[in-house]
Amino acid sequence: MNIITIENVCKNYKTKKALDNVSLTIKKGELFGLLGVNGAGKTTLIKILCGLTYKTSGTIMINNFNLDKEIDKIKEIIDISPQETSVANNLTVKENLEFFANIYNNNNANTVNKIVDIFNLNEVVNQRAKTLSGGYKRRLSIAIALISKPKILFLDEPTLGLDVFARRELWNIIKKLQKDITIILTSHYLEEIENLCDRVAILSNGKLLKTGTIKELKQMTKAKSFEDAFIKLVEAKSE
Amino acid sequence: MNKVINFYKRNLKEILRDPIIYIFCLGFPVAMFLLFYIINKFSNGNTPTFEVLSLLPGIIVFSYSFVMLTLAIVVSKDKQTFFLKRLYSSPMKSYHFILGYFFVGLIVGLLQTLVCIITGFIISLISNVSFISISSVLLLIIAQLPVLITNIFLGILFGTIFNDKSAPGICSVFISLSGILGGCWMPIETMGAFELFCRFLPFYPSVYIGRIITNSTNAIGITYSFNNVAFLGLIPIFIFMLGSIILTVVAFKKNMVSDK
Repeated sequence: MNIITIENVCKNYKTKKALDNVSLTIKKGELFGLLGVNGAGKTTLIKILCGLTYKTSGTIMINNFNLDKEIDKIKEIIDISPQETSVANNLTVKENLEFFANIYNNNNANTVNKIVDIFNLNEVVNQRAKTLSGGYKRRLSIAIALISKPKILFLDEPTLGLDVFARRELWNIIKKLQKDITIILTSHYLEEIENLCDRVAILSNGKLLKTGTIKELKQMTKAKSFEDAFIKLVEAKSE
Repeated sequence: MNKVINFYKRNLKEILRDPIIYIFCLGFPVAMFLLFYIINKFSNGNTPTFEVLSLLPGIIVFSYSFVMLTLAIVVSKDKQTFFLKRLYSSPMKSYHFILGYFFVGLIVGLLQTLVCIITGFIISLISNVSFISISSVLLLIIAQLPVLITNIFLGILFGTIFNDKSAPGICSVFISLSGILGGCWMPIETMGAFELFCRFLPFYPSVYIGRIITNSTNAIGITYSFNNVAFLGLIPIFIFMLGSIILTVVAFKKNMVSDK
């Protein structure tokens, strides 16, 4: 069953086409990767899906709600962890989680404690967010996105700027989450996409190049590694 | 209303945990009060504008511009750190955000007013001058509410439009305007056409009405009374208040779904 259906979506800025006739579907419970080099249109697509920016044309259905007409219903079932670790800096970890839980009328001690446990935030729970390390901040940012118990979670470059250990730890957490919710993840780390995602969409200059599993994309391009497959697809488009 | 209260609580914690509020919103008005009291004392009390009851409404109106600065910094930082962007994808509506910021500004502004009044009271005790009655204190607080509301909304507006580096700069222009054109420490009533110009802005009429309530005397020795200056002064006070509210609502809604 498709939880997100995107049909012929375009996004034009004054001098640039950020998305050019993009169509794709994402299944319920899938961990779906949006892959592309910088400026490919990944973040723009996520912003449109979250109602943070307007699309120029096309149709988007999320959980059978039309994005143009039922954005309020969509906002109840989605959450996002943006590229930037956007947390309330002067609030403690616990206060941050409680604040976001209250927005969704979901604040009870159990929910907060459970999230603190899942993300191993126990030792910093009473620490102000501005004093946290990059890894902890990123974990808090994703934990905040989960406190609303979303049906769909957007993770925009979730491991950007993290060291290899913090990245691996986050991967493990994301893998655990996948069982319950649909996750749309953007990254330009190929190994991250390869490790985590069930299916991948490759974007380049606003255009959707291909969609499929890692295996399918490798077979399609007759490449040995996913990195080779990605490079072949992007280069073939630009030629 | 739960979302407004939730956001208000977060904003209040965020502001109270930042030392800037204690320096600008509470320390600075008190320092100004003491400074002008000392100047007046050393000039043998020859400057009526610096008398405690004349100074009180002026300092209150001037201090509200620091509420504007504080809110502009908070909103622009929330925008800059993408904290607001994240909340825009939540079920919160524009009025939840605006009211959440507004109530914090209102609380800080009212606290400032109380600090100014208490400081004025202490100075009046020291200098052996009779202070205003409790009912006049309440009237003074109510009379200055429109200019406080204007400053709160201007703070939210500047924070919404500008980034965290330029918003304080824009606010400093307004802080200067509020101080100079409000007649807090300048005998504007002796300045002819300049006084006429100041009547079209909300600062001077607000201070003027405040001085009627405190029953103070102007630079040329005339006691402030409810005349045309005060009556017509209500027009810019309310126009600026409504204008700042409308502009803030429009700008914030636009900011929620950006086209960038």
